[in-house]
Amino acid sequence: TFVFPANSDGVYFRLLRCQMSKIKMLPAMAKLRISFVFLLYILIKCESANVDSISSDIRLKNVDRLVDISSQLVKITSKITLENTGASPVKNFLIAVEESAKNNVAFVGAKDSNNKDLRLVETTVKGYEYVRFWRVELKDAINSGATPLVTVETVFTKALLPYPTAITQQEDQLVKYIGNLYTYSPYYITSMKTSVVLNTKSVETFTKVKPFTQQDGMIQYGPYPNLKPFSEKELLIHYKNNAPFLTVTRVERLIEVSHWGNIAVEEVIEVEHTGAKLKGPFSRYDYQQDHHSGPASVRSYKTLLPASASDVYYRDTNGNISTSNMKVKKDSVELDLRPRYPLFGGWRTHYTLGYNVPSYEYLYQSGSDYLLKMRIIDHIFDDMQVDEVVTKIILPEGSTSVKVNLPYPVTRLPDSLHYTYLDTKGRPVISFSKKNVVENHIQDFQLRYTFPRLLMLQEPLLVVGFLFTLFLCVIIYVRLDFSIHKSEHPHKE
Amino acid sequence: MSLEIESMVRYTSPINPAVFPHLTLLLLGIGIFFTAWFFVYEVTSTKVSRDLFKELLLSLVASLFSGFGILFLLLWVGIYV
Repeated sequence: TFVFPANSDGVYFRLLRCQMSKIKMLPAMAKLRISFVFLLYILIKCESANVDSISSDIRLKNVDRLVDISSQLVKITSKITLENTGASPVKNFLIAVEESAKNNVAFVGAKDSNNKDLRLVETTVKGYEYVRFWRVELKDAINSGATPLVTVETVFTKALLPYPTAITQQEDQLVKYIGNLYTYSPYYITSMKTSVVLNTKSVETFTKVKPFTQQDGMIQYGPYPNLKPFSEKELLIHYKNNAPFLTVTRVERLIEVSHWGNIAVEEVIEVEHTGAKLKGPFSRYDYQQDHHSGPASVRSYKTLLPASASDVYYRDTNGNISTSNMKVKKDSVELDLRPRYPLFGGWRTHYTLGYNVPSYEYLYQSGSDYLLKMRIIDHIFDDMQVDEVVTKIILPEGSTSVKVNLPYPVTRLPDSLHYTYLDTKGRPVISFSKKNVVENHIQDFQLRYTFPRLLMLQEPLLVVGFLFTLFLCVIIYVRLDFSIHKSEHPHKE
Repeated sequence: MSLEIESMVRYTSPINPAVFPHLTLLLLGIGIFFTAWFFVYEVTSTKVSRDLFKELLLSLVASLFSGFGILFLLLWVGIYV
């Protein structure tokens, strides 16, 4: 018992020391714990963003698939009736694209029954790394037993292969489409139909899986009942397709904003005919004589510009291309562009197209904050396929704090400077690029920037300053005396 | 920067592009008049009769009007600076 106080003292001291060290340790521990929790959160977040699982509750009750291969693109529109056979509501579902076609996908979109766009995120599923998946976020969850209708649109480029690969001037172009007869889906399909639009009756061969009907440039397959997830069956159609097979290999779109009330747009376009190559000679005589000559070639095409476009020019390195027509319509300006020569398979052309639009159509203002809302890419021709688009936006000199809002992911290129008339430190240029673009990508970007209005006076004042210096030089010059001898008769007063 | 497009107004040029030609002619006309006056004054005045203040005033007015005139000429012909 005598020892006790001393012992208790010792205990007390040890406790104190322990507590003191705890006080010192706590922040570090807390930091560690917080960072651990944060890491875990990020891990979970990453997992949920990138990896999905296939819900066994979802079934596709009915799929009505329309495969349009009448142009150079393959456009598949599927009307899907979803069904939730589980007990809990489902918020999203997956769209899959088979391995053979996954590199040709240009666009995937989904709409609900009210024709409203649904949000899509590209994702992966464990065990199916070879398949490309998109997760569609539904606006309202599907309750147990509900059957909502969703329309999914996919566009593929370079999926139609010319066969034979080379034809003469007089021949028709035949192409081959190899696809999937069934809807490629991670879910069980109760019933499905496929309709193929060809717009031609001349079909060499096509897959015959009963039941099917062929009529008026259309082949209908199905209904096929009870398909397992990821079912595939080759659908091969070899048919005549004289639609223009034009690929825009590169388009550089330059948008120059001027606060004096104008937005100048210039597009430098490289076009190549990517259909069946021309075999043998090209006879201009036959081509002019007979209008049915060269059915697979492209004589001209239509480009649609905004309705407010003015001062349109169409030229290449030689100068103005005079073989073009412009029609001003109610909601657009239609240009009928005829290249200097018809385009046959493997031939290419290169031109510049430019126009002006007034700033009030696309530029919005609030104080010294501005917002530019324009298309990332505009229409070049119907059913276009663009390998690469580079969009450059030149802002007025002195614009700061630029922010871009894009409707789909693009590659942002480094910002640069552009020098033109009456510039001192250069205009900021925002640029970005995107590969594999189709008409569905004609969407608006939003670019915000700050520009002090007084800076507009910089340009006239530059000219004023320059002229004033000239006058000053004259004032100084008249006061200098360059004569080599003294004037004998000084001026009389 | 969280401004919404709905709360913003469409941006129009501080000067209506339709009056660019008139402005050009008016400003450049006045500018050229003062420039001519300045040069006439420079060659006719002598060492003694020369007045620096008048020279500077004339050149300033001439450069101001010509400067803005040239700017609107550029805008008129389609060089949107």
